[in-house]
Amino acid sequence: MILYEYEAKRLFREQGISTPQGEVIRTPNEAEETVRKIGKPAVLKPQVLASGWRKAGDIQLAGTPEEAARVAEGILKKPIDGRSVEEVLVEERLSVQKELYVCIKVDGAAGVPLVMASFEELSDFDEAAELPERVAYQHADVFRGLQAYRARKIAKGLDFSGDEAVKLADQIYRLYRVYAKWNALVADFSPLFMTQEGNFIAAGGFLEIDDSALFRFPQFRELSLSRILDPLAREGRTIGVSYVGLGGDIGVICTGAGIGMATVDLISKYGRPANFLETGGGITEKQLADVMRLVLKKPGLRGLFLNMYGGINPIHEGAKGVVKVIREDQVSIPIVAKAIGNFQEETWKILEEGGVTVIKTIPTDGAVEELFKRLKK
Amino acid sequence: MSILVDEKTRVLVQGITGRIGAIQTMHMLKAGTKITAGVTPGRGGTRVEGVPVYDSVEEAMAENEINTSVLFVPAPVAEDSCVEAMDAGLKLIILITEHIPTHDTMRIRAHARSQGAVLIGPTTPGVITPGKCKIGIMPTHLFTPGPVGIISRSGTMSYEIAGMLSTEGIGQSTMVGMGGDPIVGTSLVELLELFQKDTETRMVVIHGEIGGTQEERGAAFIRQKMTKPVIAFLTGKVAPEGARMGHAGAVVIGKRGSMENKVKAFREAGVPIAESPGEIIGLVRKALKGS
Repeated sequence: MILYEYEAKRLFREQGISTPQGEVIRTPNEAEETVRKIGKPAVLKPQVLASGWRKAGDIQLAGTPEEAARVAEGILKKPIDGRSVEEVLVEERLSVQKELYVCIKVDGAAGVPLVMASFEELSDFDEAAELPERVAYQHADVFRGLQAYRARKIAKGLDFSGDEAVKLADQIYRLYRVYAKWNALVADFSPLFMTQEGNFIAAGGFLEIDDSALFRFPQFRELSLSRILDPLAREGRTIGVSYVGLGGDIGVICTGAGIGMATVDLISKYGRPANFLETGGGITEKQLADVMRLVLKKPGLRGLFLNMYGGINPIHEGAKGVVKVIREDQVSIPIVAKAIGNFQEETWKILEEGGVTVIKTIPTDGAVEELFKRLKK
Repeated sequence: MSILVDEKTRVLVQGITGRIGAIQTMHMLKAGTKITAGVTPGRGGTRVEGVPVYDSVEEAMAENEINTSVLFVPAPVAEDSCVEAMDAGLKLIILITEHIPTHDTMRIRAHARSQGAVLIGPTTPGVITPGKCKIGIMPTHLFTPGPVGIISRSGTMSYEIAGMLSTEGIGQSTMVGMGGDPIVGTSLVELLELFQKDTETRMVVIHGEIGGTQEERGAAFIRQKMTKPVIAFLTGKVAPEGARMGHAGAVVIGKRGSMENKVKAFREAGVPIAESPGEIIGLVRKALKGS
């Protein structure tokens, strides 16, 4: 779950991280009031759910409260990546002496958190093995966290010394505490400013919480659903499956991620998949009925392809849900299903009685070809 | 020979009384796996499929021969359960559970390394040495004994590969589900090393997918150290940037984790890449002829 910048900064402040004075606003009037209250020139940042530091072009300056109102109006009218902007973060403009980037991620190769800092952006890196020399880094200890001395090593690595090094290390250490507390996948300062006075302030911030850890944070659990922008993907989450819209016209239902990816890759050789969908383990009749109705919501579907493996999944139970929807909703597009594994004979019987073309051989290639043969007729 | 599991493996099932744990225990017993005990706190003294259930790993080990644990426990207690098994002295931990928080997985992995235990998973279908031992959730009848090692980031894709090979009369030495998470207990490189040493394995099939750099590091290992033939199949070509394709680890951000990087790495290592599942059979036949 990606947080808005203003939400991330709220969690930063809880750990004692310095952030610019400011407020999130929803109207030009509020922007004007905020800048008046700050009493200084301001920056206005559209709040979007994006990983990393947004392109500088999205950030605008305002010298006066009146200008802030005008700028805010422009931002609130103009969609970014096709989506309207509802909120704008208005913050004091800082006098910058140095600009740096700090980022904490999971290093998949080392299996531990990687804490990086640099004078240039870090969004391209996530493993220590691939870092260029300009990046100072330390791995954190998964049990002890990031020891303060390691944070100081990072500051030294960027050639900071004395008080400056201690202050920078302190902010890095606190960012690690945010990362650990919220079970984050990514936490960053993008950027962190060193002001003319020699203080470090998190001008930009980003936090992505691990979806698998949301059971620990009930306050975000509800909210995380609203952050899934595609309504079909959101519905997928509520019924416990992964749905990714792919824009085509062949619906796809698979009982695993690997076979799901292989299936949409193959379909795209002959046509265009409408979606990727994988159920994960532990399907039921009801879940597969819900999944069918979800996939069939996409307008203009020409066909439906099911690829089911009975390992952890009782596919004969799932098959009952599939044919229930075919009957009740009078689904008339061609449906081809490949079903292999535990309870395969029962599954075939149920699907065939429901009017589904069942492929009983293993390679997905042949099953996908069969669907496209049927679509040509 | 084979890797990780064989006829000497004695299995403990943690989470044996759960819905999935109980059914999979039944399937594993049917496959001939020697399950000697199960654990579910609070359910000690009961039985599942005839297997005695204990409240703790320590108690189970006091009364039974056990050298491996397989876990079907809920994600929120996975860390505790894994650490319990390792602290009791078990050296092979197969963690089937999916959706474990990555921070927990990092600690499980670190604890395993400090204890000298091998952790497979999480989000893995398990490990099977056909005809000898099946630990996990894979459909048994798709697997047959033979010379091909399989390493897969996905359960379902490993079934497809093994099933196709078995249909063609080509058996498997061991199939290991590496797991679909960003952090896995045992890496592709470490699994390739095991297969390289295994006398029964003549070649290896890798199923890789977008996200992370396991495949890139595996390809470097193959180029430098591997003498047995390896072929690969990669999934996730059509994934939109930033979308997690079912597995937490299957995501492309910018160029990181992209299909292009992985294809390039395998090509440079001389690893033939199957363009579709069906193509795997031909590549395996060719590799076996040459090896």
